[in-house]
Amino acid sequence: MKVLLKTIFILLAVSLSLHAIEENKIKEVMKNQIDSILVIMQNKELDKKTTASKVFNLLDSIFDYKTMSKISLGKNWKKLSSQQKEAFAKSFEKKLKFSYMDKLDLYTDEKVLIKELFKKKKNRIQLYTDLLGKDASFEIIYKFHKNKNNDWLIYDVKIIGVSIIQTYRKQFSAYLKDNTLEALINSL
Amino acid sequence: MKILFLCVFTILLFTACSNKKEIHPNKDVIELHKNNTSESEDDFDDEFSNEEEDLDPLKYYNQAMTQFNDVLYTYALSPVASTYADVIHKDVRGIVSNFFSNLMFPIRFVNNVLQFKFQEAGEETGRFLINSTIGFLGFFDPASEGFNLKEHKEDFGQTLGYWGVGSGFHIVLPIFGPSNVRDLIGFSVDGMLDPTFSTEKKSWKIPDNLEKSIGLKTLETVNSTSFKLGQYENLKKDAIDLYPFLKEIYEQKRNHEIKE
Repeated sequence: MKVLLKTIFILLAVSLSLHAIEENKIKEVMKNQIDSILVIMQNKELDKKTTASKVFNLLDSIFDYKTMSKISLGKNWKKLSSQQKEAFAKSFEKKLKFSYMDKLDLYTDEKVLIKELFKKKKNRIQLYTDLLGKDASFEIIYKFHKNKNNDWLIYDVKIIGVSIIQTYRKQFSAYLKDNTLEALINSL
Repeated sequence: MKILFLCVFTILLFTACSNKKEIHPNKDVIELHKNNTSESEDDFDDEFSNEEEDLDPLKYYNQAMTQFNDVLYTYALSPVASTYADVIHKDVRGIVSNFFSNLMFPIRFVNNVLQFKFQEAGEETGRFLINSTIGFLGFFDPASEGFNLKEHKEDFGQTLGYWGVGSGFHIVLPIFGPSNVRDLIGFSVDGMLDPTFSTEKKSWKIPDNLEKSIGLKTLETVNSTSFKLGQYENLKKDAIDLYPFLKEIYEQKRNHEIKE
């Protein structure tokens, strides 16, 4: 029965996410997404591969990997051919997904509290959340932008003040000074 | 020595001010540019900074020291803390952690006051009084559990930041890890307020020589590491290049702590 409920819950969350996120639904959609991700991760019956593919399915509808790749490369992005852009975006997406899973893996027994939504600009919104642990809680901020299709998608995540994409951006520009893009893709 | 401090301090203040001057006209240009091409491709560039903006005169030393610390953590501190965690029960380690944390009260109190956070300073005082007495020398933390008085961590590096002092360049310290000029000054000032560190006999300090100080610091470090086993390794997996990775995380985290 529990499994059935969970499945229905996940299906609901997935079907919700198939539609574009509207501005007034960001909170609701994110709550569903994060909750269902935690449900999947806490399900010990699933093997690692199934867990990963289920979680990634959920992430795909809210994360804008293309924009993340672009920001993370900064001005180097423009120098790439469209093939290189695609290759980079693909491996960067994979890196981000596994790193996100890794982090969640540490905190599966903890709860997520969805806090306020701040509209920074007409096309930027930040969602403040807390990851509540037994001893401490961490602030996680999801940064959304509005794309050309008027969907709100995440382009950066800030964990206790540390921007994930900014951290990659600094590393990539340092790395690309002495190495080629191909080497960078391989190291991801 | 005092003169040296003053010099570094003025240089820092100066760079903090001159940085501001440099940034402003640039920002105006970006704003103008954006108004012309409202949804331009570079829409995100003013939210993120580039590597070229960093001043990093100690880059090669810092890289080497990062490697040294990484080896030290992986082959010494982590295995020692892991064995320590196996031998000593979690509750006992909690008591040790409470005890050290209670002793650091002077640092937190002074820095909360210097940042005009009087309510927080008051809560810290309440915590110290309760935990030192009912909490039996700070072994337990009844202030959090029974009185809802929370710890408010502030150090002198944060105080300097609060006063508008720029971070200066990045310095990786042996053993202690990432730091910068501002935080290194903060670290030495806090050291004077730290009851667990002293190279000579002083009435309110516990150790009276360097060896005992190091001993206490080692116990504190091993004990606190025993609660964080695996975290560094997990974080490290995300790094493309360890030094710029840890540096960036440190600087962003400190900026965030100063703003709070």
